[in-house]
Amino acid sequence: MRALYYNETVSFECVYKMKRGIKSMKKLLSILLGLVLVGTMLSACGNSGNNNSPQASEGTAPSQESAQASETESATPEKKDVTLSYLASQDWIKDPEMKLAEKFEEQTGIHIDYQIVPADQYLNVLKAKMAAGEAPDIFGGQSGKFDLGPLYDVENNAADLTNEEWVKREDPLFVEQSTWKSKVYGLTIWDPSSSWVIVYNKKIFEQLGLSVPTSYEEFLKVSEAIKASGVTPIYEPVSDGWHHVLWFPELGVRYEELAPGLADKLNNNQETFANASVLEQSLTQFNELAQKGYFGENAFSNTYADTEKNMASGKYAMTVYGIGLPAQIENAVPGSSASDYGFFPIPLLDNQGLNISPGAPSKFISSNSKHMDEAKQYFDFLTQPDNLQYLLDNEAKFTTLNFPGVKAKFTAEQNAFFETYGKKSGTVYQTAVNYLNPQWMDIGKDMAAMMSKQISPKDILKNIDKRRGQQAKTAKDPNWK
Amino acid sequence: MTRKIYPFYFIAIALGIYIIFTVVPSLMGIYLSFTDWNSYSREVHFIGLDNFKTIFSSNENYMHGINNTVIFTISTIVLKTMIGLLLAILVNKGIRLKNFHRVILFLPAIIPMLVVGIIFKSIFNPEYGLINEVLRALGLNQWTQHWLTDVNWAFKSIIAVDVWKGAGYIMVILLAGIQAISHSYYEAADIDGAGAWKKFRFITVPLLMPALMVTTVLNLLYGLKIFDTVYVLTNGGPGYATDVVYTQVFSQFTLGSYGVGTALITVLFLIMTILGYFAIKLMSREEQNG
Repeated sequence: MRALYYNETVSFECVYKMKRGIKSMKKLLSILLGLVLVGTMLSACGNSGNNNSPQASEGTAPSQESAQASETESATPEKKDVTLSYLASQDWIKDPEMKLAEKFEEQTGIHIDYQIVPADQYLNVLKAKMAAGEAPDIFGGQSGKFDLGPLYDVENNAADLTNEEWVKREDPLFVEQSTWKSKVYGLTIWDPSSSWVIVYNKKIFEQLGLSVPTSYEEFLKVSEAIKASGVTPIYEPVSDGWHHVLWFPELGVRYEELAPGLADKLNNNQETFANASVLEQSLTQFNELAQKGYFGENAFSNTYADTEKNMASGKYAMTVYGIGLPAQIENAVPGSSASDYGFFPIPLLDNQGLNISPGAPSKFISSNSKHMDEAKQYFDFLTQPDNLQYLLDNEAKFTTLNFPGVKAKFTAEQNAFFETYGKKSGTVYQTAVNYLNPQWMDIGKDMAAMMSKQISPKDILKNIDKRRGQQAKTAKDPNWK
Repeated sequence: MTRKIYPFYFIAIALGIYIIFTVVPSLMGIYLSFTDWNSYSREVHFIGLDNFKTIFSSNENYMHGINNTVIFTISTIVLKTMIGLLLAILVNKGIRLKNFHRVILFLPAIIPMLVVGIIFKSIFNPEYGLINEVLRALGLNQWTQHWLTDVNWAFKSIIAVDVWKGAGYIMVILLAGIQAISHSYYEAADIDGAGAWKKFRFITVPLLMPALMVTTVLNLLYGLKIFDTVYVLTNGGPGYATDVVYTQVFSQFTLGSYGVGTALITVLFLIMTILGYFAIKLMSREEQNG
């Protein structure tokens, strides 16, 4: 309004000084006034738009940031003015990868806009976005040769990456898991040695005079002794919804030992989960751990993100994790030492073998992305040998990568673990058995219900069968007719 | 109403928009509940009542969700109305800074549910949450609970949070109702020697009935549609203990069984239509009597 007032007085002065043609001047004045009015209104609208939008749409903050980012980028003409959206579940994007993305942006001007979603909601969000036609340029997904179709419908949603250069270098075991109908859809950069094992606090074991258990019975005794000393035996973050599920399908190596051919029979629908006694037994043993209170009182509110902190606190003696955890604890908690922690396999059903899981969080490019070439460029960048090495060196969780030529960083403790348990190894069930991985979170709900005594182990297995049947039928699986 | 001021076609545009955006999608939803619509195949087949059979079969958990929804609705109607009425009377008059108190009490209603969820998740944390810390500080260790993760407490905690959030809103409606009651009734009652309780019982409550009906209908429809409170606090957990109809619909959609999901919504739609019909009928009767 200040502008209006100013213009008004100026025009009046003009009128006064000129002293002629007052009528025409009035006309001019009104035109001027009108112009000023329109101008102020427009600018006011523009202002209010700018002021309100950040408050009105908190949810879209990332895209605004990216819009700003692309604005600044446009100042340098030789770089591309592109922002790639990248949707992923929590913990799938490591910090060094974000650093690499910054470097990538410096080189190419392509900005990566990471949208990280909590693990228990990730699939919902991704599927909703895909269904609404708002798929991000790049999306994360757990690879698995049986699951790419049912889970992500890669044929329709993801770009074919078969002819990319890095496919030839990536570990073939991993490539197989990100292949659907003989086309490669995903890029997996992950630690091939990172199967889930029990990480234990050596100090607590020493103080109580305990040795590493080699059978389920011994594991119970060890846990009982730890519980009696006032320490919670096992840190189990049930609240994340997926972690406590690991106890069940990760034992694939042991299931195959005890019931050879079970996985194949399950895949061909010649056997059901509910009828397989080994599966019921392992769930029963897991439930026993829960009912005996070995997961502590706070298991249902514990979070995966707090694992390092809680393991370092000495309040918990063991947890299910990858062999990178000790280094992570040392990084995250000052004064703690990686050498205080050791490993042994999940000992349900007396398991002593090593689980191998070539399925891992992977990256896919949306088939309807407008920036497919830029996304491919990003994948090329990530898989350059020195960038892979950078990722490995700066991510505590990783000990090696599924690409040849990187320099692994195994500790003595990790080497000893592989020497002791590496002789017997087998594939985990979520990769070996079809229609299992997509219902991971549902099994999580079932297992939580079992832990709080709402359903029995048998019920869980029946639910798994039911959901598998449902999926197989809709996928028109000939074995499920 | 026989004399028409405007010809019928004046509402044509509004009616068109209403039909396209409200009636057609609702009918489509009801139709889809009779199909096997899912995320795995692009074809949709008519399968009759199969989805409804699934919902009402004893092997499934859906009755549990419907049950929980009903429990939630009834308990929030009762609690919100009682607490809202109490608060409305408290801040009606004779209190310092009454406008300030009114605003504070109304505040929870305007905080987004997502924020409420995050706040209460931390308040309810069994290890370092506010409630358990206070109880411990008071020496009431045996009263500490796993508010959101204990099967016996989780649903009660959800109801408590929802009442906390919603009572202020109900208070505002009831406060308006109370203030609309003429003072002369109370003065007359004073002359007759009526006490505070009698005035409340025989003047405030009867004259507040229309407002109470409005809040009850609002609470009823809100309660049956409950989703956000449960989703942000427990997402139906631990296990399936706190599942309500809409969290089940949500997980069905996640699994890709859109048919079963829409069938669940259709069931709820029927329940809401029937209850809503009676509620409105009851309300209009009150109006005629009054």
